[in-house]
Amino acid sequence: MNKILRTLIPFDIAKGLSITGKHFAKVFFTANRRTVRYHITSEYPEVVAKVQPRFRGRLTLLKDEQGEIKCVCCLACEKICPTQVITIEKGKKEGRKMPFPVRYDFEMERCIFCEFCVESCGFDSIILNHQFELAAYNREDFSLGMEGLGQNMYEPSPVGKFSVADD
Amino acid sequence: MFKNEEMEINLGPQHPSTHGVLRVKLRLDGETITHCRPMIGYLHRGVEKICENQTFFQGQVWTDRMDYCSAVANNLGWAEANEKLFGITVPRRAQYIRTMLNEFNRLASHLIWLATHALDIGAMTVFLYAFREREDILDMNEAFCGSRLTTTAFRIGGLREDLPPGFEKMVKVFLAKFPSCLEEYENLLSENRIWKKRTVGVAKLSAEDAIALGVTGPVLRAAGVPYDIRKAFPYAAYAEMDFEVPTRTEADTYARYLVRMEEMRQSARIIQQCMDGMPEGPVMAKLPKILRSEVNEVYHATEAPKGELGYYLIGEKGGLNPYRFHVRAPGFINLQSLPKMAEGGLIADIVAAIGTLDIVLGEIDR
Amino acid sequence: MPTPTLTQSIVITLIQCVLVVIFVFVVVPLTVFAERKVLGYLQQRLGSTRVASGHVGITGWMNRGMWKWGRIPVLSYWRGIPGLVADVLKLILKEDVIPAKADKFVFFISPAISMVSAVVVFAAVSFVPGTFFTLPTWFPFVGGLPVSGGIADINVGLLWILGVASVGVYGIVLAGWASNSKYPLLGGLRSAAQMVSYEVPLAMSLLAPVVLTGSLNFGEMSKVMATGLPFWGLVPQILGFLIYLTCGFAETNRLPFDMPEAENELVAGFHTEYSGMKFGFFYLAEYINMTVVSALAAGFFLGGPWLLPFGLQGLLNPYLPSFLTWFGQPHAIFFVVKIIFLLFTYIWVRGTIPRYRYDQVMSVAWKYLIPMALFNLLLAAVVRCFAV
Repeated sequence: MNKILRTLIPFDIAKGLSITGKHFAKVFFTANRRTVRYHITSEYPEVVAKVQPRFRGRLTLLKDEQGEIKCVCCLACEKICPTQVITIEKGKKEGRKMPFPVRYDFEMERCIFCEFCVESCGFDSIILNHQFELAAYNREDFSLGMEGLGQNMYEPSPVGKFSVADD
Repeated sequence: MFKNEEMEINLGPQHPSTHGVLRVKLRLDGETITHCRPMIGYLHRGVEKICENQTFFQGQVWTDRMDYCSAVANNLGWAEANEKLFGITVPRRAQYIRTMLNEFNRLASHLIWLATHALDIGAMTVFLYAFREREDILDMNEAFCGSRLTTTAFRIGGLREDLPPGFEKMVKVFLAKFPSCLEEYENLLSENRIWKKRTVGVAKLSAEDAIALGVTGPVLRAAGVPYDIRKAFPYAAYAEMDFEVPTRTEADTYARYLVRMEEMRQSARIIQQCMDGMPEGPVMAKLPKILRSEVNEVYHATEAPKGELGYYLIGEKGGLNPYRFHVRAPGFINLQSLPKMAEGGLIADIVAAIGTLDIVLGEIDR
Repeated sequence: MPTPTLTQSIVITLIQCVLVVIFVFVVVPLTVFAERKVLGYLQQRLGSTRVASGHVGITGWMNRGMWKWGRIPVLSYWRGIPGLVADVLKLILKEDVIPAKADKFVFFISPAISMVSAVVVFAAVSFVPGTFFTLPTWFPFVGGLPVSGGIADINVGLLWILGVASVGVYGIVLAGWASNSKYPLLGGLRSAAQMVSYEVPLAMSLLAPVVLTGSLNFGEMSKVMATGLPFWGLVPQILGFLIYLTCGFAETNRLPFDMPEAENELVAGFHTEYSGMKFGFFYLAEYINMTVVSALAAGFFLGGPWLLPFGLQGLLNPYLPSFLTWFGQPHAIFFVVKIIFLLFTYIWVRGTIPRYRYDQVMSVAWKYLIPMALFNLLLAAVVRCFAV
């Protein structure tokens, strides 16, 4: 008898409907709020996505306090890179004892953001920054270097390409 | 009088519910499947060969990209296989952290399974609810190792860094809300008459067939075989953990659903134990600067969310990279059972069967 | 009141047609929009809130504007309306691909069949009994004449509705066949069997109101059900209402019975090969069908234009805002509100429950719904003997 009743009266479906209905009501009454809200998605280009401190973004060359490039061309990052995206050309610079990178090329299109290069660097001269909006329209835009080409490796890529946060 | 003809139809490689680029060649008699052959290889990248040409250290990034839904479990297998090859002992704290992250990864993988499986059967809301919790786990991945999906979480000999500050709090918040979330999914699905009609008795695979085909993981446990590598051959810190291996005897899609749901509960338990009994100490073993292998051969199996994930490595004298590398991918072996499950069923059942096998094509094609 | 001449009544009928078409083509896009929003809210997201990605150009300007509306409580629900307009524009401007080996004529005609059969049903739906409103005297040619609440006040309205609605299946079956492709063919086959099966319990569940009211006229039936029976007739006919709703889901190919277009099995089912506005016709036809089914359910089981049963409306009227009683006692607004509630139920159910398998769909119809509909008919007969 109980079984027949349960077949006839769709309690199970009513249970499901109550769960989704509850979520509907909660989101419906808080949809316009931006701070206390119930929906789990965020409106990305307007609301900037927060990243964790250890986030692995784009490779960046660091400079020391005097504005000198910290890299000393030990080629550790070039060797450890699993996808061979880094090419360094060793050179000399006046008034600097350590070797100086004449070229430091980074092919971002092949980079897999594993951070092995940063891990291998004994001089703390490179980091992965917190940038994740790295899309570009041209293939050349992915070739980063010290100078010349579209982007250089000291500064973050032009921000605001996709983010339009105004509040 | 009438000519009887069977229709051949390709399910995939572009199809909403083949979970990637799987192509299944079907022969249909009306809507009944009389012949079913999965065709694979659309995502072949030659991971094994690439790893043979890279150093032991570099190889890990390729394991991320095999089963991209459970990258941490793949990393763990790789790291442990190498530690076995070089005879490295990993510090206890690192073992605990590895175990905890591995269980988080199991949760993430099972949640994505639940999401896509429910979506395949038509319950579209569970999809977003499961992704809601998975998002928290990915946030924790990001906090620990800086990446959400392709984690590269571990290193041979331990971990790169200790847990970040604030990680305990994230875990605590997650564990506090997770049981109620599981309950929500179960309220939506477990008792639902349509869900039961679509899963009970569908895509059966008996224990004998499963063992003969080499099927492992929840699919095998749902057939009543309590084979879990975490219990049978404990690795990482699983020997010190108290958990159960859920099994069912029905061997159908519904049983697999119940097994995985219970596994998620057990995973939450293991995470709690890891947090409670987390030892202090270093997270990295002392390693030589350059890893050079001896003539050696190891096979290391771990319990990935999908089943037995085995790494087979051969080292040569003074080698910087593995002489031979082979992966026993659980999805690849489990997919063999698809014809057994689907033949004789309806075309809607093969969708349930693919969903219940929980395949990831990145791992199958490698 | 002057008696209209033949030409005048033709013009008035045309005016009614225009009104109903306006109703349909206002409600249907809003249902499409509501589907996106309601499904989003059910799933803890916001649904559509923007036109396209990016922040450049006109779409970017609109996106930024909509983001600013997002804080205003009522307006925040309507963000994404421009996206709907963009969708329709895209459907109209899109290249219309016809597969090389398709049966061109049938391929062309089947969306039209679906669409026409869906719209024509509204001819027999009466939104308000009697006069809807009287045209003002300055109105050219037909000034001062009454416009009734439905296009055709035919005495066999229910037969018309059932007959025309069942033509719609030809659109789907022919589309599946004409595409000359395998997934659409499977979708068409499924739909043929499913529609034929579900016509039976659907018609049977509508027979119960016929038995109770003794009429086949839409307006008459809805009036008797609403005013002559307790709680719009929902109390004696709760079973009939549920059966009707279930069959309605199946007839309109909505989850859990969306066999012909089961996305996860048949890619897109019968309209896999359709693109552009031909696909748009199928899409619109589905939503018009939903509106029709909701209108029938609201008319027969939820009291149609009557807010309250048993003449309680008259007691409440003095307290209603004046614009609600403007046109007289039973009001089209209540009818529309009931239709909208039922449309919401459609979307709600879609967001909650999984899909049946094809053979299970059949067994639900033949093993459960038809016996239950027969029992419901018996119940209606008993109620008719003793109560009405």
